[in-house]
Amino acid sequence: MPMLKYVAKRSIEIVITLFIIATLTFALFRLMPSDPAGLILDPRSTPAETARIRELWGLDKSTAEQYLVFLRNMVRGEFGTSFFSNDDVYDIIKERLPATLLLFTTMILLSFSVGVYVGRLIAWKRGSKLEYGSTVVGMLLYSMPFFWIALLAIWIFSYKMGLFPLGGMKSPEVWDYAAHSGVFAKALDIGHHLILPLAVGVVTFFPGVMLMMKTVMIETLGEDYITTARAKGLSERRVRDEAASTVMLPMVTDLTLSLVWSFSGSIIIESVFSWPGLGAKFLEAAVNYDYPVVQGAFVIMGAVLLVAILVTDILYAYLDPRIRY
Amino acid sequence: MSIVMHKPKTKWQKRKEMIQNTWKLFKETKVGLVGVSILIIFLVMAFASFIPPILDEMYIPLYGSDPDIIGVTTPSLRHPLGTDFAGRDIFSQLLEGAKWAFIIGISAAVCSVVLSVVVGLISGYYGGVVDSLLQRTAETIMALPGFAVVVVVGSILRGIGIWSIVILISLFAWPYASKVIRAQVLSLRERPYIESARVSGASNFRIIFRHIAPNVLPLTFLYMAFSVANAILVEAALSFLGMGDPNIVSWGMMIHWCFQTGHTYTAPFWLVPPGLSISLLSLGFYLIGIGTEQIINPRLRKR
Repeated sequence: MPMLKYVAKRSIEIVITLFIIATLTFALFRLMPSDPAGLILDPRSTPAETARIRELWGLDKSTAEQYLVFLRNMVRGEFGTSFFSNDDVYDIIKERLPATLLLFTTMILLSFSVGVYVGRLIAWKRGSKLEYGSTVVGMLLYSMPFFWIALLAIWIFSYKMGLFPLGGMKSPEVWDYAAHSGVFAKALDIGHHLILPLAVGVVTFFPGVMLMMKTVMIETLGEDYITTARAKGLSERRVRDEAASTVMLPMVTDLTLSLVWSFSGSIIIESVFSWPGLGAKFLEAAVNYDYPVVQGAFVIMGAVLLVAILVTDILYAYLDPRIRY
Repeated sequence: MSIVMHKPKTKWQKRKEMIQNTWKLFKETKVGLVGVSILIIFLVMAFASFIPPILDEMYIPLYGSDPDIIGVTTPSLRHPLGTDFAGRDIFSQLLEGAKWAFIIGISAAVCSVVLSVVVGLISGYYGGVVDSLLQRTAETIMALPGFAVVVVVGSILRGIGIWSIVILISLFAWPYASKVIRAQVLSLRERPYIESARVSGASNFRIIFRHIAPNVLPLTFLYMAFSVANAILVEAALSFLGMGDPNIVSWGMMIHWCFQTGHTYTAPFWLVPPGLSISLLSLGFYLIGIGTEQIINPRLRKR
């Protein structure tokens, strides 16, 4: 039962954080210097028309009233309609979210597997050429702005060598024109589009995990219980496993932080690769002052992230026998 | 036999000795030394950014353009890295970018580190309600996608100036270091020397800033180095997305111009130098940070 209590406690905290995010979004849009109605209305429209639009959007109400309506709508999942396409924001998000989830779950899982594995290895082979080499390469990759790596990758692998598409997620000839494309051909097509953004993401993302893993692992190897394990005559493999199991704790914290970062990452990486995800839509909407879409994307992305964080927190509690909430 | 009288060392002699010792350790770490070398190269570039505009008006990074050139040209003697879409010299933009990278990186790092030290000290030392209030604030900020918030603010205010960007970067960067500093303070607080300071009547303010703060200083330096690199990378990403300050020439802005005008695949002489500069300079700061880390945490040193 204590676990259940912990989950309940964290869920409440998450709801509070989500509430803060929503309030922040609401407050941010009140910073706007101009009247939102003026943004999409023709400057020549009559005052009566403007008043009608303002009434339609609830802009004639007081700020407190607008806030309450805003919160009610957020809870109901009503984010309004886009200023530009007149589509329902909820539908836009529903259409865009899967692409982001596909790219980022594979990216984070892959980065963490590779990073943890290599980090563990080089911590063990400390002082070797392998450790030195991977640390240098890792640091270099870690310091590179990844939009730039993405541009270089598109330039080299797509533009020059023609190995991958220049961007996007689906080829129209597979999805729209050929009625007979099977599921397999479609999956292959998405996979083909996925490789380059995924590779760029992993290449820029795993070094951080690797270096962190190396540092914690080296610290752990100096602990007394590792000396004890060695003294007991356990095989090197067993000793390594013993060390790695405690090291996983700070790594889970790192995973949580990178989940938060992934929303920011998706904005950049999806824009460069024209990946039809929520991050790219978010930036597009922000540039076009399409506020309902920005608001909706922000709150939904926040909710998705917070749930993911809850899952990693539970994982953390599960991994650490000392923590029983 | 002669008796050598040791004169007690003055405060400044002790400090000088400490700095010398630290520098010796730092040099031994090698990574730190590489970092400092990279830093010096870019510092020279930053100071050299004042020279081209004096030589000729066409080398002014933002407004100057070559009267004989329209648009993008490949590198030549007159323009070592070619010119951009407006006929502006890319090399002088690169130097100007170095200057701004230092200004942005260091000012954001100072803001965020000062904030994290003050919060960490207060939170760790006082504990109780103050602590949990500050920690909840820190956690909420950590749970927010900071970059996305800055994009939204930039979009709402129709573009924000470089100082607003610096402040926003620091606002989202301080909790990480603050948590570590707080943990450090929590353990320092229980040490006997703090107890004796308290017994001898030192005020809380004096204990915090005179007895605890100097002990978290090395840690502060470490986070400072990391924050500079982080700020440079974040500003570059913002500028690249078109959310930067259009009135300054930063490396991210140069890549943005290159991308926006569709020269990404045709003008490597324009795309590569700013990106490489961002990578190397942030690498330099990260390496200095790692060097510092190895001094603070002897376990990480080579055996």
